Amino acid sequence: MPFGAENLDMYNKVYNSSKMNKTKSFQNILMNLQSYWIEQGCVLLQPYDSEVGAGTFHPGTVLRVLGPDPIWKAAYIQPCRRPTDGRYGENPNRLQHYYQFQVIIQPSPDDIQELYLNSLNAIGLNTKDHDIRFVEDDWESPTLGASGLGWEIWCDGMEISQFTYFQQVGGIEVNPVASEITYGLERLAMFIQKVENVYDLDWDGIEKTRGGKNYGDIFLQQEQEFSTYNFEKSNSSILLEHFNNAEKECISLLKDKDNPLCLPAYDHCIKASHVFNLLDARGVISVSERQSYILRVRNMARSCCLAWIEKNNNE
Amino acid sequence: MSKIDAQKGDLLVEFFSEEIPARLQVGSGEQLENLFVKKLVSREVSFVSCKTFTGPRHLAIVIRDIDLVQKDQLVEKRGPRLGSDEKAINGFLKSNNISLSDTIVKKTNNGDFYFYSQNIVGENTAKILPDIINEIIFDFVWSKSQRWAYSDLKWARPLRNILILLNDEPVDGKIKIGKNTFLNFTNFSFGHRHHNQKIIVKSINQYEDLLKNNNVIIDRETRKNKILSDIDLLLNNKQLNLKQDNTLLDEITGLVEFPNVMLGTIDNEFMSLPPEVLSTAMKVHQKYFTIFDNKKKLAPKFIFVSNALSEKNRNIRITEGNQRVLRARLSDASFFWKVDTSNSLDHFNKKLKKVLFYDGLGSIFDKTIRLAKISDFFASFFNLDPSLAKEAALLSKADLASEMVGEFPELQGVMGGYYSKINGATSDVSIAISEHYKPKGLSDELPKSNLGAMLSVIDNIDTLTGFFVINKKPTGSKDPFALRRSGFSIVKILIKFKVNISISDLFTEPLKIFDNASEIIQDELYAFIIDKLSYILKKDDFGDDIIKSIIDLPDLYKIPFQVLYKRIQSIKTIHKTEEFKRFLSNFKRLNNIIKTNELPEGSQIYLDQSLFESSEEEDIFNISNHLRLEFAKNRYQLDKQEAILNEITKASTLINMFFENIIVNHENNIIKNNRLELLIGLRNIIIQYINFSVLKD
Repeated sequence: MPFGAENLDMYNKVYNSSKMNKTKSFQNILMNLQSYWIEQGCVLLQPYDSEVGAGTFHPGTVLRVLGPDPIWKAAYIQPCRRPTDGRYGENPNRLQHYYQFQVIIQPSPDDIQELYLNSLNAIGLNTKDHDIRFVEDDWESPTLGASGLGWEIWCDGMEISQFTYFQQVGGIEVNPVASEITYGLERLAMFIQKVENVYDLDWDGIEKTRGGKNYGDIFLQQEQEFSTYNFEKSNSSILLEHFNNAEKECISLLKDKDNPLCLPAYDHCIKASHVFNLLDARGVISVSERQSYILRVRNMARSCCLAWIEKNNNE
Repeated sequence: MSKIDAQKGDLLVEFFSEEIPARLQVGSGEQLENLFVKKLVSREVSFVSCKTFTGPRHLAIVIRDIDLVQKDQLVEKRGPRLGSDEKAINGFLKSNNISLSDTIVKKTNNGDFYFYSQNIVGENTAKILPDIINEIIFDFVWSKSQRWAYSDLKWARPLRNILILLNDEPVDGKIKIGKNTFLNFTNFSFGHRHHNQKIIVKSINQYEDLLKNNNVIIDRETRKNKILSDIDLLLNNKQLNLKQDNTLLDEITGLVEFPNVMLGTIDNEFMSLPPEVLSTAMKVHQKYFTIFDNKKKLAPKFIFVSNALSEKNRNIRITEGNQRVLRARLSDASFFWKVDTSNSLDHFNKKLKKVLFYDGLGSIFDKTIRLAKISDFFASFFNLDPSLAKEAALLSKADLASEMVGEFPELQGVMGGYYSKINGATSDVSIAISEHYKPKGLSDELPKSNLGAMLSVIDNIDTLTGFFVINKKPTGSKDPFALRRSGFSIVKILIKFKVNISISDLFTEPLKIFDNASEIIQDELYAFIIDKLSYILKKDDFGDDIIKSIIDLPDLYKIPFQVLYKRIQSIKTIHKTEEFKRFLSNFKRLNNIIKTNELPEGSQIYLDQSLFESSEEEDIFNISNHLRLEFAKNRYQLDKQEAILNEITKASTLINMFFENIIVNHENNIIKNNRLELLIGLRNIIIQYINFSVLKD
């Protein structure tokens, strides 16, 4: 039994009445996922403290799968920012800020699919009660120079996770191959709670009259304000400067070949990537420029990856 | 020594992996069979038949009556020449571990040599299987494949188990797939994903049934037929009909191990959306089948195929889940519809200024401006009002900026049709927009309206010209912009709609719009269209010789399409008639005389009427002149083509008379050359119609 469950019992005793089964609240799904993967021997990391477009960007994935230790198992929640996906809080499925739960295991275990299916059972989604399908979905991140083969996982027709065998990162072969599982937490919770609007998700399993919160209580204003910011108010010239500065800093931090500062450099690569996404949402990047921006971020990512490998192999 | 070589048994090999993409499963069985055949034949192991099985996780082959022992092989080795020194001979004997009496002497072209025939005794098939399997899995080509963990081996998805039974016995062996990583041969497989039960296979004959008992229908056709018959059962007596979709059916067959077909309901509030939207949302994202009612209207139902084993409560839960997902998808679509229909097409066109068509070819809006420009010229060829053509051209791409097409690219055109109608366009224009991406391939249907056909042609002409101008022509098997398809579409429409435009006219206006359009590019474009034309004519059952007879025409680019088509159609109709055969043989006789009496190169001979000695010569002279005049006046007149052909074939009698009564080889060289020139004149005018000399009798 995952450790979160004991806490739940306590909750239930204290409040004694709940609007739903608390194990299915958003925060408990999260806790149970964490507990499950801890039990599988994963290092539980915390989210990277900078804006990223996907959990993959976390150095705990991108850099770690390039060595030096061929064994790396980590799990973490990662808030993700996708400025162009903002819908001013009006779309029941799309958000410019949402949560991913990321599991990265290297080398990919032989029973990784079983481990994944069991994780669903651990968060209250009984796989035997549903139609779980592994549907081809190959993954590519042009900005990270990363690609892999895998599936999107369907539960009764809904995509609830992404599954990827990493083949390349930063244009470099990943060896041994790592397996990445990404859960879209809102989607998953919506499925489990049978909710059709993300803002109706029960966050804490506590009755509204007792101060319980749903997803909308916590995030609606954020979605509205950030949508306005992303699409209408961001200052493009400042952002452009940010992008250029981040790129400059990234390159300069890698200059000293004897002691390149891989992680700070990568930190700036991530920043540049997010700034690019903001510029993109603002609609100020023409289609022909787009490609060159992507290429610039990819070059940064690749340089960081190469420096990381070099440095760690020499030590 | 050949032992028990009559002994035969069956072989089962199964590669069990994680879920292989549906599209990659198709063809994998055939490849597996080909590889086995190749590897077995090269090792002198014969067999009677093979059958392959493909499913999401199982890829298997059963080979019947395979040799349990490889056949003995006789290998003949040549030694030194007879009479070589002893050292060489002994070396040969020693290296083969034989004595002189084991050798024979044979004559060859280079003299007599010692030979030794070595009998290599066949191995047990079980012993060479690891080698064979090893070669097969490393030779196997997946269009997309991956490594996993420490594997060097690439497979569509991680390969987890290799089951081998030979004559119902397990086979010892393992395959090295990477550093310290092996796959052992086993005698087990796995059942349905749901239980993932390990199952020991003891008998090849029971393999298929055993898997079926474990809820895996491993035979692809059986699985597909089960889906179809279960759909029939579900729809039976419900006045509902399936919208046939073989692509979707194939894909679904690759997604399920044990199909469980179910019927879901679409919320009524979505039924006012365009049927194409519903159908695409269901197919593309959810892989659901569309259902029609008896009036061929979309029914508020959908069919989906689950991989979960059938059980009442589970079925209800899964159906509800799928309906919920569809509801979310269709809410999105409704939202897009609402947003899009509240916007004007001008608004979309403005957005298209920012959307690149291709680097060097401007934005998509630029493309519509180009289309509008050339539409004027093309409208007359399609008997269209130029202002209507221009309007359609200007609006044709607007929907690319819509939310709906952003989400469902396959609805391009279709949405443009709806949105333009809502924006007040005439139905001619909306229909044209909705069908201007047709045909999408050689077998796809063509636009139905003239305006749609014209829009399709100019869109493709612009695309072709543009990509040729920036030097992105298709090469070899590479055709990333599907330009060949554009070429085929143009030709098919020109033929079907009887458009009387010449190949050079197709490109005059578009080439003017693109700067830097050199003559080389123009010629490449002509050649490209001609190539597509010959391909389509061939598909339309025109003989190679008939096709060649027009491809060779020096003014081919200038001949209007319909004229060209008329000419070869007439030829096709009459070329089996006796009259035409007579003409052809007379023409060929004429042609041969000219060829065998070739005038000296550079000789300039002018026909001199005063040298004529007979009425036959006068007749040839007159018919040549007549045909020349006729040609000058009417060569590109559609309604004159049959008349011209008639006139040409009528010359048959005159040519015949000429040969009956006149000798070309006159002793006077001047008269001889004059006669030859006379014939050359006639021939040259005749072959301007089509090149009759390449026609087969």
